[in-house]
Amino acid sequence: MKTINYVLSGLGGQGILFMTKVFAATALEKGYNVLGAETHGMAQRGGSVVSHLRVGEARSSLVRAGAADFLISMDESEAYRYLPYLKKGGTLFANAPSKSFPDKRVAAYLKQHKIKAFAMEASKKAMDLGSPKSTNLAMVAFYSAFGLGPLNAEDLRGTVEKMSPAKVRETNLKIFDACHDAGKKIAAAG
Amino acid sequence: MKEEFLLGNGAMAIGLLEAGCQIMTSYPGTPSSEILPEVVRFSRMSKLNTSIEWSINEKVAFDNAFAAAISGKRAACCMKMVGLNVAADSFMSAAYIGNIGGLVIISCDDPGPHSSQTEQDSRLMARLAKVPVLDPGSPEEAREMIKFAFDLSEEFQVPVLVRPAIRVCHARQNIKYKTLKNNLTKADFKKEPTRWASTPKFRFLQHKALNEKHVNISEKFNTLKAFNQHTLKKGKTYPFGVITGGVPSSVVKDLFEEYSRKDIPMLKLGAPYPFPEKLAGEFLAACDKVLVIEETDTVIEYMLRDKHKTLGRFSGHVPMEGELVPEKIETILNKALADCRQKPLSDFDGGRAAFGLVAELGLPLRKPTLCPGCPHRASFYSIRKAMPKAIFPSDIGCYTLGSNLGVVDTVLDMGAGITMASGFYNAYIQDGVQKPIVATLGDSTFFHSGITGLINAVYNDSRFILVILDNGITAMTGMQPAITQGLRVDGRKGNAVSLEGVVQGCGVKYLKVVDPFDTKNMIKTIKKAADYVTDPEGGIAVIISRHPCVIGFKDAAIPEKISVRVSDECNDCGFCRDRFECPALFRNPETEKTEINTVLCAECGVCLQVCPRKAITKCDHQF
Repeated sequence: MKTINYVLSGLGGQGILFMTKVFAATALEKGYNVLGAETHGMAQRGGSVVSHLRVGEARSSLVRAGAADFLISMDESEAYRYLPYLKKGGTLFANAPSKSFPDKRVAAYLKQHKIKAFAMEASKKAMDLGSPKSTNLAMVAFYSAFGLGPLNAEDLRGTVEKMSPAKVRETNLKIFDACHDAGKKIAAAG
Repeated sequence: MKEEFLLGNGAMAIGLLEAGCQIMTSYPGTPSSEILPEVVRFSRMSKLNTSIEWSINEKVAFDNAFAAAISGKRAACCMKMVGLNVAADSFMSAAYIGNIGGLVIISCDDPGPHSSQTEQDSRLMARLAKVPVLDPGSPEEAREMIKFAFDLSEEFQVPVLVRPAIRVCHARQNIKYKTLKNNLTKADFKKEPTRWASTPKFRFLQHKALNEKHVNISEKFNTLKAFNQHTLKKGKTYPFGVITGGVPSSVVKDLFEEYSRKDIPMLKLGAPYPFPEKLAGEFLAACDKVLVIEETDTVIEYMLRDKHKTLGRFSGHVPMEGELVPEKIETILNKALADCRQKPLSDFDGGRAAFGLVAELGLPLRKPTLCPGCPHRASFYSIRKAMPKAIFPSDIGCYTLGSNLGVVDTVLDMGAGITMASGFYNAYIQDGVQKPIVATLGDSTFFHSGITGLINAVYNDSRFILVILDNGITAMTGMQPAITQGLRVDGRKGNAVSLEGVVQGCGVKYLKVVDPFDTKNMIKTIKKAADYVTDPEGGIAVIISRHPCVIGFKDAAIPEKISVRVSDECNDCGFCRDRFECPALFRNPETEKTEINTVLCAECGVCLQVCPRKAITKCDHQF
């Protein structure tokens, strides 16, 4: 298989590491090799955080600018910040209001590079479902609705189930299912 | 067989234990901090009796490991690269003396830099010390290199340095491993004063012996296929080749594969020093031009004698600073290939248009900030309130972020908060000016390298206020236990060391302990301390600002949650956001008032003391 590159971005405290681990564990379960690179230390404290994940036979942990298949961002600004990582024909998933997304100033770039961009208000959904800190899970579920890439919804949901501590498992799965369904509708609308 | 998606630091921990490392010491520092806790975890998992400690600083860690190694045991110490500066004296000396049991030093580099004060290349430290160095390109390779390092260290009786860069330490990779076994070698120190306590006459002989070891190790590295190898075809010559090592070697391999460029030969030097002259010579002879891509300095490039053939940093093809991220390496290769009239990999320009577009968007600058509820924020607020005109030397830790609150004027290295305060005092007092100075540093940094500076300040009668920010933990690097808590890394009980006792033992006569969450009392205490500092009969004043870290000790840090709101009294003066700088306080441009982000708010309630108009008030109800 050709290496599939993911770039995940967000803000310190949004749980990017857990999100990375959900993707990685799912890929490992499928028998793929996985390489990742993450932000630690000072940059973690409320700053912009990014995590790279490469599924397949890669040697270096960083995704090259212009080479990411998917950019999944838990914050609208952080989606734009890492836009240069997406390759031509890549797909962007952002936690943003779908009406105003994407910003007019990037629309031409997306079109020119045949990048599809989808948005869902993940933080709002997580908050409404009683777990304001689960934007990360909401975005995993949103991505899973599109059936793109080597990791499918059923497997990702299974990983979330396995990795969630017992006391939040039910809530996590509720969020996953709701955001997956919301994603399905957006995917169907194209 | 088990498999885990491990950090490079975890893969190295497995490598250490697979090699039978019996003694492991470290001082935390990004990107090295997770190695030691992973050694604890894997030792526990396989019921090994590995002796593991967080040492008080890197030099102490080194000396500890060295003593074990000359007793015949396998020992290792790990640190970030600037930590090796702290251990440098020991490191240089140990290279001459040598060891019996394998001694491996892991020094983690931070090209970027992401979380460090320099971008120094530990391979240069190895060269300075005349110690062999290995430069892994991936977590799995780091694991293998560590095992080899122990064998090499024992074969030649010389310490071996492994220098993983941040993209090895903080890369994650799926790693398979089996149950680990105990190494039961017993300590057996054989007295030999001419070696272990050698005088300069013997040092000369040891230096000579070390130089001889070098010739032999270089010879070994010429044929060390596991880490040093090229892709030349016998008898073939090439217009262009690449010499690389470490993290960049993984990127170059990925790029050549992606663009199917089997026509470009590559020499990978994972063991670059002592320099494998013959191997490099062979590669150089087969190529018209050679591009060197290494991180962060010019260790390989420097050793290549033919400057007309060599492209790299000296020819301007590779930047002298910054991390060699993959897009940068692709553009470097494209340019060098074009300059040598070869076909570039691609027309990729490093994503200039895309990065340009992003720069024009005016995205929020997300500078790192102290956490909501962090006691350091309250301390800094009070210090600035009490001493607005002071010079604020500070130090290395989370509290470096006090710069956002205008209370960190200098950061040099660990311990310099105190020593630079002395220096400022001396520089001003010479002119007859007693400048107000408030130095800050954390409890862990104080123990690491603050104590010597404090004794020096007392002895030489420097006058300043020192605020020790005691949050009971080493927070920045990932919540390592503090010396004052008496807990050791493997859960065993240690002997808690009293911060007050040490401060007083340094000769300090004026010591107060405050809780920074009571800003009024802290401001008053600082003002009183200032009087003592300027009193002719006074001296240095130390204030311990003690409150548990909000991340490390959530419940103890905020025993009673106080939810707050901003009332209509807010007149948008911005004082709270500017001087208290809590991420949970934000300006709503529509209402033109400050508001509370309740998701971020830690409910510490300290901001109630901050607003000049008392517009921040307690909530009557809980959400």
